[in-house]
Amino acid sequence: MSGLESFGTAGGDWRSIARDAATGREDEAPVVLRELLVFRLSDSSYAMPVDRVREIVRLRAMTPVPRVPDEVRGVITLRGEVVQVIDLRMRLALATAEPSRHTRIIVLHGEDDRVTGVLVDAVREVVRVPEEELRPATGGEGDAVAELFLSGEEFVSIVDLDRVLEFRGDE
Amino acid sequence: MAARRKKARKSKAQREFVSEAEETLEGMREGLADLMDQRAGLQGDGEVDPELVNRIFRAAHSLKGLAGMFGLEGLSNLAHHLEDVLDGLRLGRVALDSPAVDLLDEAAQLFASLLERVGEADFDEASVAPIDELIGRIDAAVSAQPETADELSGLDLDPALLRALTEYEEHRLRENLRRGRHLYLVDTSFEILAFEEGLAEISEVIRGSGELVSTLPSPGEAPESQIRFSLLVASELPEAELSTQLDFPDTRVRSVGGGSDAGESDAKASASVPVPDPDPADQATTPVELGGELDSLRSISDTVRVDIRKLDELMNLVGELSMQRTQVEQIANRLAEDFATARVGDELGRIHKLFDRKLKELQSGVLDVRMVPLRQVFEKLSRVVRRLRRELSKEVALEFSGADTELDKLIVEQLVDPLMHVVRNAFDHAIEAPEERREAGKAAEGTIFIRAIQRGNHVLIEVQDDGRGIAVERVRELAEARDLIDPEDVLSDKEILDLVFEPGFSTRESVTETSGRGVGMDVVRTNLAALGGMVELSTEPGRGTTVSLTLPITLAIIQALIVGVGDQRYAIPLNSVLETLSVDVEAIQRSEGRELLNLRGDALPLRRLADEFELDSSCEDAKRFVVVLGLGDRRMGLVVDTLEGQQDTVIKPIQGPIQQVRGIAGATEQGDGGAILVIDVASIVDETVRRRDAA
Amino acid sequence: MQRILIVEDSETMRSLLASSLEEMDPPVKVSEAASGFEALRILPRESFDLVVTDINMPDINGLELLSFVRRDPRFQTVPVVIVSTEGSDRDRDKGLELGADAYLVKPFEPEALRATVSDLLAQPR
Repeated sequence: MSGLESFGTAGGDWRSIARDAATGREDEAPVVLRELLVFRLSDSSYAMPVDRVREIVRLRAMTPVPRVPDEVRGVITLRGEVVQVIDLRMRLALATAEPSRHTRIIVLHGEDDRVTGVLVDAVREVVRVPEEELRPATGGEGDAVAELFLSGEEFVSIVDLDRVLEFRGDE
Repeated sequence: MAARRKKARKSKAQREFVSEAEETLEGMREGLADLMDQRAGLQGDGEVDPELVNRIFRAAHSLKGLAGMFGLEGLSNLAHHLEDVLDGLRLGRVALDSPAVDLLDEAAQLFASLLERVGEADFDEASVAPIDELIGRIDAAVSAQPETADELSGLDLDPALLRALTEYEEHRLRENLRRGRHLYLVDTSFEILAFEEGLAEISEVIRGSGELVSTLPSPGEAPESQIRFSLLVASELPEAELSTQLDFPDTRVRSVGGGSDAGESDAKASASVPVPDPDPADQATTPVELGGELDSLRSISDTVRVDIRKLDELMNLVGELSMQRTQVEQIANRLAEDFATARVGDELGRIHKLFDRKLKELQSGVLDVRMVPLRQVFEKLSRVVRRLRRELSKEVALEFSGADTELDKLIVEQLVDPLMHVVRNAFDHAIEAPEERREAGKAAEGTIFIRAIQRGNHVLIEVQDDGRGIAVERVRELAEARDLIDPEDVLSDKEILDLVFEPGFSTRESVTETSGRGVGMDVVRTNLAALGGMVELSTEPGRGTTVSLTLPITLAIIQALIVGVGDQRYAIPLNSVLETLSVDVEAIQRSEGRELLNLRGDALPLRRLADEFELDSSCEDAKRFVVVLGLGDRRMGLVVDTLEGQQDTVIKPIQGPIQQVRGIAGATEQGDGGAILVIDVASIVDETVRRRDAA
Repeated sequence: MQRILIVEDSETMRSLLASSLEEMDPPVKVSEAASGFEALRILPRESFDLVVTDINMPDINGLELLSFVRRDPRFQTVPVVIVSTEGSDRDRDKGLELGADAYLVKPFEPEALRATVSDLLAQPR
């Protein structure tokens, strides 16, 4: 059975040979796709992994919370749960803006009472991007963006949610 | 020989291709051999490792790709057909005993022999006759499979139902037919308002004796109020048996096909249906008669096991009802105050009172169901202590009292971790080594004594050890070293001891396997605050330490005072509110920069909530309200702008990246969907008292 | 305002569908059902002008829901759009055979969904 395990794993320079030989044909090496939710902040597009997203809700009454960093805009209730909402613009050091009718709260899954809402200007779409089309970010935005991909003419920044949601030491 | 000469003509790329393809083929043929073994071993059942089929499928898939990339159309086509058969096998469209499966290895062999010839000048694989011939046979074998639609259309079923099956459901249906199970159509109808409960009940019974393949809704006879469902069920049970089990109103069971040998197999099957064994004792006294047997079965147990989440839902409902009750009360009061509506208001008030009484009964009924004794927690603790005793070879006895004291199930669950922490601390640090104990004139074996006592609406749990106790000076040194206090701060012994609960008091590097040196006492306090409880410490150097945990009996619903500051509202649990006062701003005095109020001769330290929470208090009035908070023997006044009445509230944890907000215990949902934050009285009182002492 | 019911068990997908439909012009009112059962409950309550449904859902599947809609005189003419991941050809054929008005395979551009929906809403029933 061990022979079976090696299926599809093309050996060293096989890949390049195949690529030379493949003229316009589909590459048969398994393509790893990343499923990303694209959203807008200010005048740029950003994305996060779809599997972190629990739901997307419209802006609703928010109760401010004292003694927390400003980026925590407040708490909302969601079917009986009380959830903090983080202003992603502030977290990424972008200019703040008034909410519009497109403003959404992306609610992220969270274990141990860590369900979190993230405030964004608009939610666009879910895209599937092949892993090899991702490129490392150039820095800036407080290292909260680790990777980029090109969607049409525009670069979309993939937000590093773990970075963004880490508030250690702020308290 | 000839082959060698030909091989030499292959280009480097071709050699790479051939070796890659050979390797893949080899793995694939091994897999096929395994598959045949499985088929032979499980003939008639047809179970085969889906993972294996999937791997062979992927091999065929990559062969197709490889051949395609090199423009080897014939080989690619052959691999494509292999892939099709395997895909069908994977999805259950092709049966394992299909003749097409027998052709797989032949195809792999042919593929291998043709690979040898790749690169030969006169090799035109696209026109190799054996490929076409084999492909022809594979096609024939696949189409010789009974047409799936035909197989299913032989069933006595409404085509509308068949059409609504997904590919997977069709596959399940066929699979069940192949295993000789009976297929039934269960028709049932419900009031539209209650269909989900009814359906869930029926589905559960069905799943107990077969598979529910499809649930097709149809409009009921009166579509506005009724809905009908046709359930497609596969089961080993004969029709009569299933009908008996599915004895629900408006429910009919109809056989639509299947069953290995229709007629007589029914008798066989019914003979093999297990009849529940009645309790032997009952058998002796109860005549074997169906009705009596059922009765006796029913009476064996008068308890039901309930999913705690269902109770949570019930509790939430009761909580929401309580909030709506508050609103009704307010409306009744408002109506009663106005002369024109006073009579309606009074009447509503009366009804509200009755409603309130019943609601309270419902509330305590629901809460009662959730109560569990502490025994389980104690047993868990004693297992841990036994283990520690073995591992650390330390002699410690664990004693309990009050194991029957009951608490809300959720509180008991949340209590396990903090309690475990306290006990481990006692075991690890408080209790001395046997030699040390003997020198101090104590028994070599240490004792940890845990007792639980109910006091009104609270339960007090004390963890008492007879260890070395805590040296207050040492705590003070540590607290100063960690910048928790200044060397010039004047603190009472009790206040110094309380520093143990401060975050940052214990250090990470001192974590041991069992616990840390006081590690987690801050966590213990936080956990308890989240439950609406508190923790206190008392110690006698050389004699031992007692950690006291005070917990509310139920989490449930607490009465809260709603206060306003600026445009914000907060809830303060009423059980820590001693009284509320309306005071003139003038009456607030200052001493050493701290505000005080003369409360019947005592100096009550004050804190303004607006300052604490950095809120805009736009209140222009000269009047303020002071909420007098009491916790243990400590008192303080919280200055707010307005008092907005009492409310029943359900405290929920605040979820999000910031796990602790000092001064906030949680939040409560409002009727309008907004949230009100609930003030953590214990931490506000702590802060105030410390500031006063520090001043 | 025309009313649309979205039936989809994945919360992410559902809110994504909803927010893309909410940007339609002229605006539409979007209701959401998290399961086929919920859809059965909601359907009679409001008169919907269009239903968007997923196929694979845990209680009843989208085809079963569609079959119900087509057999109930009250909803017979309501356009139904099926959205599904990894469209199995057979499921698509069945959907269309059962009377679905459109079939979209996820992932799709929100614009494609909006175009499909506004075409269907514009057609006389």
